[in-house]
Amino acid sequence: MDKLVLLVVLPLLAAFLMPVLARSSQVLARLSGLLVLLISITLVLNVWGEVDKQAISFAIGGYQPPLGVVFYIDQLSLLFALLIPVMVLIFWPWNRPSSIQEYSLMMLLTASASGLMLSGDLFNIYVFYELLAVASYGLVSVQVRQGQHPVVAWVASLRYLLLGSVGSVMMLLGIAIIYLQTGTLNLAQLSLLAPEALNNITGLSAFVLILVGLGVKAELFPVNTWVPEVYAGVSTRLSALMAGLLSKLAVIVIVRLLVLLFPQPEALHLMTVLGMLGVISGELVAWRAKDMTRMLAFSSIGQLGLVFIAFSLPGNIGLLAGFAIALHHLVVKPALFMLAGGWSGRLEKLSGMAQSSPYHVALFVLLAMSLLGVPPLPGFWVKLLLVMNLAVQTDPVYHFALAFMLLATVLEAAYLYRVVMLFYKKENHTHASSQHSLFDWITAIALAAVLLISVVQLPSVERKLVSMAYQSGNRLLYIHTVFANIGTPEARIDRMSPTDQAKQPLVSEPSIKEKAIKEDLVLGSAEQ
Amino acid sequence: MNNLDQLFIVSLSGLAIVIIIGLFLPRQATWLAKLSPLLYVGQLLLLIKMASLVYIDAGSASEIQSSFHLHLLGEPLQWRFDALSWFFAIITVVAALFAALFMSGVWGEDYRKKTSANAYTMLHLGLLLNVNSMLLLLASGDFISLFIGWEFVSWASFFMMVLNPQKVARQAAMKYLMYAMTGAMALLAAMAYIYDISGSLQYDIVRLSMSHLSSEQIIPLVILFVVGFAIKMGVIPFHLWQAVAYAETPAPGAIFMGAISARMGLYAIIVVLFQLISMDNFAYIHIPYTFWNVQSVLAWIGALTTIIPTYIALKQNDARHLLAWHGVGQGGYMLLGLVIADNVGSAGGLLHVFNHATYQAALFMTVAAVMYRTGTSNFDKLGGLVSQMPLTFMVMVFSIIGLAGLPPMNGFVSKWMVYRSLLLDGQPLLFVAAVIGTLGTILSVYKLVHNTFLGQLRVEHQEIKEAPLTMLIPMLLLALIIFVTGVMPGLILDWIVPVQAAIGLPPLDYHLGGIILPTGGLDMIWLTLILFYGFAVGAVIFYLIGGRAKHVHQYDNYAGGHFLTAKVRYHYSHNFYAGLMHLIGGWYRGSFVRLEKAIVSLVSFLSQLAENFYRANQPTMLVVAVVVMAIWGIAVGRFG
Repeated sequence: MDKLVLLVVLPLLAAFLMPVLARSSQVLARLSGLLVLLISITLVLNVWGEVDKQAISFAIGGYQPPLGVVFYIDQLSLLFALLIPVMVLIFWPWNRPSSIQEYSLMMLLTASASGLMLSGDLFNIYVFYELLAVASYGLVSVQVRQGQHPVVAWVASLRYLLLGSVGSVMMLLGIAIIYLQTGTLNLAQLSLLAPEALNNITGLSAFVLILVGLGVKAELFPVNTWVPEVYAGVSTRLSALMAGLLSKLAVIVIVRLLVLLFPQPEALHLMTVLGMLGVISGELVAWRAKDMTRMLAFSSIGQLGLVFIAFSLPGNIGLLAGFAIALHHLVVKPALFMLAGGWSGRLEKLSGMAQSSPYHVALFVLLAMSLLGVPPLPGFWVKLLLVMNLAVQTDPVYHFALAFMLLATVLEAAYLYRVVMLFYKKENHTHASSQHSLFDWITAIALAAVLLISVVQLPSVERKLVSMAYQSGNRLLYIHTVFANIGTPEARIDRMSPTDQAKQPLVSEPSIKEKAIKEDLVLGSAEQ
Repeated sequence: MNNLDQLFIVSLSGLAIVIIIGLFLPRQATWLAKLSPLLYVGQLLLLIKMASLVYIDAGSASEIQSSFHLHLLGEPLQWRFDALSWFFAIITVVAALFAALFMSGVWGEDYRKKTSANAYTMLHLGLLLNVNSMLLLLASGDFISLFIGWEFVSWASFFMMVLNPQKVARQAAMKYLMYAMTGAMALLAAMAYIYDISGSLQYDIVRLSMSHLSSEQIIPLVILFVVGFAIKMGVIPFHLWQAVAYAETPAPGAIFMGAISARMGLYAIIVVLFQLISMDNFAYIHIPYTFWNVQSVLAWIGALTTIIPTYIALKQNDARHLLAWHGVGQGGYMLLGLVIADNVGSAGGLLHVFNHATYQAALFMTVAAVMYRTGTSNFDKLGGLVSQMPLTFMVMVFSIIGLAGLPPMNGFVSKWMVYRSLLLDGQPLLFVAAVIGTLGTILSVYKLVHNTFLGQLRVEHQEIKEAPLTMLIPMLLLALIIFVTGVMPGLILDWIVPVQAAIGLPPLDYHLGGIILPTGGLDMIWLTLILFYGFAVGAVIFYLIGGRAKHVHQYDNYAGGHFLTAKVRYHYSHNFYAGLMHLIGGWYRGSFVRLEKAIVSLVSFLSQLAENFYRANQPTMLVVAVVVMAIWGIAVGRFG
């Protein structure tokens, strides 16, 4: 298990060694990056399944928590530890001649993202988040889209940088507040102290600051204005990586903190409201978008809004719905960006595309349907899950969120199918043709295949997600796992194996009602 | 593996066959097209094997459960057939069979030549997809499978609509998609509400929890469900999308969708309002601040649906659009009859589903045949075709008699039952509304038959022949069905009485010729005999006793008081009901069209607002956001 620290160390090392290595051999330097990614993937696959029953934590360098640096690994962090190298590998700039610095940045991105997912203390989370931000600023300014004037991209990346740094400062401020209140940054210890120390207005303000800070990456409503500029300016492979993976990483960190540190219902409400605003504003603007990447960028804002709404549901069910939507978006949106790569320019120019490239268009239709939530595609099930669980909440804010979500879906259908109709327009002399690179096309097909396989494997996917949600939603498990080695008094916390919890019904609240009604049914039939 | 499983397998393998042949063996596609009706014959046979659902004897089960089921999100998903599903399914499959028959002959050849082999395969695929998804919907056994079937039906219809590449069809399809998505989301919201109330989406549990709902809970629920389902039916105020969308699909699509597609909405309404929430409650649930109850509101929605689309149909200048608007209007009778919820009215509503399917399919076929021969369905370019296409004319006359609801065709029986139950129920105003609707129908079907077949033949149509045999056969068969089920409605009432039992309504007393009521029933056999007797008397008077008759040539007649020689061809069809329109023209205000536009403008406005946000100066926004959040946080901390 300790080997997992290599997930951070190796890419970091590669990031700094690659430019040096490139002086002697370009090929070797370039290969080393890929090699590191492959090693990371094998590392994760080796331990895959070991955390299904019990999460694992280990201290780095022998310093025990709460003072030492801790890595915490459960199903959630392991899944993302796998997804990070896989996605980076998929969205590696295969399709264009790139400088070694760019590769180096990609490795930095991998290292910091893995660190962000595995770290068990706030300070490291901040450090890795900053590293991640730096890597992404660099990539945004380097991977300028073809045909895009570099100055436009630089301006976009400068704005991104400004917004991102303001966000980072806020996050740091939030962390500082937490440290002032509790005197520690270790998540497990914080979690122990949180019910007393952070369950107040100070704690809430710390959460708000961190939410805004991380929200910049997570495309949270008021701090997401960089999204359309950047996604339209950079290469679609980078857009896909950012919309698909990076945004989710920030969300996952927020969720971790929410579960461990911030039990306040106000925190959840804030997320619901911001999510609602994100959904409706994103989909509304996407409705007006004039080109494909911009449309997808706004749609991504909308989808992230949905993710926030889902995670704002109290309890494990919120985690389940959130994971489902986030992972669905993680598969679908990059695939759509890959398709958009060959369809640059104004939407009207794409008219009649189905004649020249029917398979690309068919794939777009499939992905759009899943995004909309047309059964039996996975998008339907995740939306249904969210709808059902929003409905059973007693708090009216969730019912508003439900209404917003349904309205947004209609808008989504409007703009996605306006494009589809354009594609299938019969043009007598069409100039429209796709300019997809082979890599983009293969990537899109592979992602769509994942989508279709998950349709067939729905029950097992559901099981996996449920067990993941129950494991990551268990605050006590986290504390216990981290402190297991030192035997603090708090370690006496009764430990419920997560598999037992996974057997509990998905929705706890209505199941009581359901039970009563079912009993009614049985009694009724017995009387007859 | 029971019959229902086999039905799904047969219909799915049909889909697979068409896809495989279309993709890999395009040369064999012509053979496939010729044999395509067999795909539906197989499904029909399986349905006939399941006929014990309606022809109930001692040992037969009231439900056939499919062995395929799922368990997802903590909810079981199942599929089953009962008498109601069977009734709608057999109409669906028979309508598809007729559409496929029509398509497999000359019409298909022609379509293939005009478009492409690929487009023709797509048309077959579209029809199969529609049938498959409808069967899936009809078999749904819980809300999730209902929603899945519902979405499948919506998307299959959309697929059929976009097969016509013309701009008007594409716009209609897009409009349909917006309506359908809105409906689907309303349905999803209703499901969410149901789940909140009863904690499950299974019918059994939902039914139990529905029985102790307060009216404050039930009204929003009914609104959400009715909005969801009524959009598919094209009920007022959601009637704008349907007619153009259906009319503009390629002919077999129009035949099939005109016959049955929109009725899926009715099916779902029946499942939810009758099977789950008992209709009996609705008369006692008053809408706050008004003197209406839920039942009367639904009835009035049905009545307005019979009137408004019918009078819109009257203004149409294209045969297909005129028919499609009638399709919307006739849905109103079905809803009206069902909502009365007595034994006569509900049977009338259900019977009208069958009757409407028969004559609407026949009418679209006649129009398609006319279009095949003349190339147009525009009234301004037609006229006098009776001399060239007498059989087609005859089919159209049979069908419009059915559509207008006159004896001895089948439409009369169902409409009579609806009127009768309105009178028995003491609803004279609704009765008048229904009659106004029928008046509009009679006026516009006369316009249809007159402008197409009567009057003087146009010069360019002098050479055309009767519709080809492959078109005539399904048309004549349908005409026969229209007549036979008109004279002997008992044949179909056999199916309807078990459906009434399945949805918890009192069953109807009936016999082969009609229905039995304590206050005077209806016997179509006698009625038809008397009718023909009357004709015979008239004929005797006319031919034997009357004076010498003069045979007038088709060109030797005129209208409107103009003095014309026989050499000038003249057919009065443009602006047909000018006098009537002078009287009622002011009533057409286009309010719903304006409402629709207003909603689009509103969305556009909101969208602009949102876009302005994303263009704003970002760091400033960030500061503003933080300040707002800080204030909010403090406020919550202080007062929360």
